[in-house]
Amino acid sequence: MTDTDTRTLDREMKKGSAELIVLAIVEARPRHGYEISKLIEDRSVGRMKFHIASLYPLLYRLEERGWLQGRWVEKAGQRRRRFYSLTPEGRRVLTRQRATWATFVEAMQLITGADHA
Amino acid sequence: MPDWKPHLRTRLDALRMDPEREADVVEELSQHLDERHAELCRSGMDDAEAQRIALAELAGQPSLVEEMQPLRQARAPERIPAGSPPGSLLVDFWHDLRHALRTLRTQPAFAAVAILTLALGIGANAAIFALVDATLLRPLPLPDPDRVMVALEKTEAAPRSGVSPLDLIDWDQRNHTFEKIAGIIPNVGGMVMSGANGTAENVSRQWVTAGIFDVLGVKPILGRTFTEEDDREKRGSVVLNESFWRTRYNADPAIVGQTVRLDGDMFTVLGVVPQAAEVIGRSDIWALAPIIGAPARARSAYFLYAIGRLKPGVTREAAYADLDAVAAALAKEYPDTNTGRGVMVERLHDTLIGGDMRRTSLLFLGVVMLVLVICCANVANLLLARATVRTRELAIRAALGASRSRVVRQLMTESLVLAAIGCALGLAAGAALLRVAPAVVPQGLLPDGFALTFDLRVVAFCSIAALVTGVLFGLAPAWQATGVSPARVIGAATRSVTGRGGRLRAALVIGEVATAVVLLFGAGLLLRTLLAVESVDRGYRAGGVLTAMVDPIGDRYPNPGDLTRFYDEVEREVGSLPGVDKVAWATTLPLGASSFGDAYIQVEGAPATESKSLPTADYQIVSPAYFAALDVPLVAGRAFDATDAADAVPVAIVSEGFVRKHLIGEALTWPLPEDQLARVLGRRITVKLSTDPDAETAVREIVGVARQVKSRPDETEDFVQLYVPLAQSPTDDIFMLVRAESGDPQALVSGVRSRIARVDTEQLVSVRDFMTLEQVAWDATSRHRFRAVLVATFAGLALVLAMVGVFGILAYSVQQRTRDFGVRMALGAAPRDVLRLVLRSAARLLGVGAAIGIGLSLLIGQAIGSVLFGVQPLDPLTFVSVAALLAFAAIVAMAAPAWRASRVDPVVALRGD
Repeated sequence: MTDTDTRTLDREMKKGSAELIVLAIVEARPRHGYEISKLIEDRSVGRMKFHIASLYPLLYRLEERGWLQGRWVEKAGQRRRRFYSLTPEGRRVLTRQRATWATFVEAMQLITGADHA
Repeated sequence: MPDWKPHLRTRLDALRMDPEREADVVEELSQHLDERHAELCRSGMDDAEAQRIALAELAGQPSLVEEMQPLRQARAPERIPAGSPPGSLLVDFWHDLRHALRTLRTQPAFAAVAILTLALGIGANAAIFALVDATLLRPLPLPDPDRVMVALEKTEAAPRSGVSPLDLIDWDQRNHTFEKIAGIIPNVGGMVMSGANGTAENVSRQWVTAGIFDVLGVKPILGRTFTEEDDREKRGSVVLNESFWRTRYNADPAIVGQTVRLDGDMFTVLGVVPQAAEVIGRSDIWALAPIIGAPARARSAYFLYAIGRLKPGVTREAAYADLDAVAAALAKEYPDTNTGRGVMVERLHDTLIGGDMRRTSLLFLGVVMLVLVICCANVANLLLARATVRTRELAIRAALGASRSRVVRQLMTESLVLAAIGCALGLAAGAALLRVAPAVVPQGLLPDGFALTFDLRVVAFCSIAALVTGVLFGLAPAWQATGVSPARVIGAATRSVTGRGGRLRAALVIGEVATAVVLLFGAGLLLRTLLAVESVDRGYRAGGVLTAMVDPIGDRYPNPGDLTRFYDEVEREVGSLPGVDKVAWATTLPLGASSFGDAYIQVEGAPATESKSLPTADYQIVSPAYFAALDVPLVAGRAFDATDAADAVPVAIVSEGFVRKHLIGEALTWPLPEDQLARVLGRRITVKLSTDPDAETAVREIVGVARQVKSRPDETEDFVQLYVPLAQSPTDDIFMLVRAESGDPQALVSGVRSRIARVDTEQLVSVRDFMTLEQVAWDATSRHRFRAVLVATFAGLALVLAMVGVFGILAYSVQQRTRDFGVRMALGAAPRDVLRLVLRSAARLLGVGAAIGIGLSLLIGQAIGSVLFGVQPLDPLTFVSVAALLAFAAIVAMAAPAWRASRVDPVVALRGD
């Protein structure tokens, strides 16, 4: 995959699925912003990158919607960091979006899948 | 690490973020950039290159600003920076109000305590204000109520004597200051109203003279009221109360002109008057008492209350002088009856609200005001503690240019918001209290025509109280919090500045403790009064006795012999009822009502006295079984028996008080020695039921002495009691007394009614007011109980509030001095030394407060002396109890903070800062 392809994919996919991605990343436990961006990059094996300029506004938006909750956490000998965790509402949204996404992928596969070519 | 903040700030400047939020975002994004930068460096980039890439990502496409733009937090409302030039007051107020609400929301515990405290204080005030308003403040529901006066006769012996009908007529004709003077008989009695179809019912009736409704200014809503013409013609006529007309006659206008049968006589209904007329008595019916053309001997029958309406502009004093002159002229014309009879004139309102009611109302008002003061002190204390903590915030505002008055205004707004919410809750509590009040307020405490209402006046009073308290408890903390130099506070790091605030708070706590002590002391005295009133030897046994009023219909028993036979038959029938031990008759209930009144007496052998200044005795007509039924012991002589018949020698039994006052004149020891006994038994007394020289007299021989029975629970001087046998003085309106063999006498009610029905079914309607004698006694002490319970409740509340204050100041000072304690303990002080230190400072506050409180209590004891009974205003036991209670409460309040102080860990305390 070329760099151009990656950027296009980035932009297109992010629009529809960025929320789902972030919610899924913090599902297991609260994470801070940088950690979220690294995990997205790692889990997509570098194909997807959330830079600072888009990641934080997204986090803030999810927070304003009540799906995430940000909290400053102080640990001995470390800088304080802002951790984001799923709210009960966020958890419901995640479940719903996952289901929608699975249906979407299935539909895409049915339409564009090699099997029917 | 590079400093990212300038880059971030430049970008975020384009947004309108709340400064605190912006700082948060800057910090969070800086951290991200730090980590990104470190990551890039680790991958082998040099510092400058890593910085460039990190910043490029920040610039990104779309940019941070574009992405943030749609967020709510990017559009924070314009903030008025602290120290901005004074804008419009209204705008400032609006901002302060929102800020206040926000601040309170962030400290729900503080807000809840403060608001609840205020609600308690204001709620109590609302309820008591309603009482004071109903009794002292609200004018009577009559036109120009201040012109309506009560005029009574006055003699040396009786400062408030009734007025005779002939005197009343002369007063009305000869005075120059009243538009009209009319009369009423103050007691509201019962009458049996029989219908055309043979039904009968009891109605309440009050006798009045013609013109009374004109005097009151009450216009009939239907028909007309009494005129002098009615009086002269001796027409039996009545006027109906509006409420009775509506409930009994369904507001039928055709009732006017019809006749009704009352106690067997026919009366014409002249009209209907509004309920406002109830100020003279709560009655269904007002009946005309004819007085014109009364015989000359009626000059000495003092049974009326004169009520007059002043001419406009005339003062009470002028009216008094006028009537007094009339009375002096009458005394010259009728020396036999009128010598030494002056007048007294007072507002009808003052007559209705007697001294006892006035004292009770004012006592309660004083008490709840003190409770409110304590509430204010407590809230002020809370605010002071909070202001001390907020000193830094306020100092920063001041440093940024906010004027002192601006900051004070902001803090005052917070106080007023607290007061407003407290007021709203308090009013709700007050309304709820007033809803249950009728069940709690003893009967007869409020005079006829007075009701406790929750209306705009109460709301207005509480709103003003809330406003004043809001200002009071807010001003001191606000002033104190802003009076400190900003440099000093900001330089003081996180440690708060105490000092003046501490002293102020200490003063408030001292004030609270003092107030609580005063209230406790007052409550203690009233409780002791209640105990004394309830435990005093009343001279009879109330338990197990049922009473009822029996008022035989006049025309069925026209002469005394018939009446006596009726009573005898009822006594026999009820006496044979299973479970009934004894049945007796009496015109007076111990500690209760009397249906007869006083008689004038002259003891044989005593120096002759003019008839108008004869001593009086409580004249009680009783049946032979009375003394046995009530367990009143006869300390000498014998009880009445069947031989004391109508035609036998007239006899009497006297009370111990009678013997002491009129026969022996010294302390008595029972049994009486022979020589004293001879001075009592067999002595004869002349008894007259009126001072009229022509009045019927009876010479009665004393056959026995009865143990003194209390007429009132708190009487300080024994009533002079004279018992005469029912057969020799038959009367209607009499109480039946039924002693049960065992169990609740109330269970006998239906049995008693059925036995009376056996004698005369129609008479059932004349039997009413079934009560046990214990209920009568309970009602007699209800005022004392009401006062004691109410004041004790408020005192308890005050104590709790004061101890909350003590706890608050102590807990706060322990928290503030943790470091100090840590240092002391690090230097070798034992926990108990620290404990002593803490307790000593608290004990000083309590001690000073208690001392001031006791000093004030000395004054209070004197002030409420008039409502005390059986206890001295400086009762030492009460002092000791209050001290013990205070000490106990103080220990509870101080325990937690003191324990905490003694457990300070020096290491933690020293590191804590």
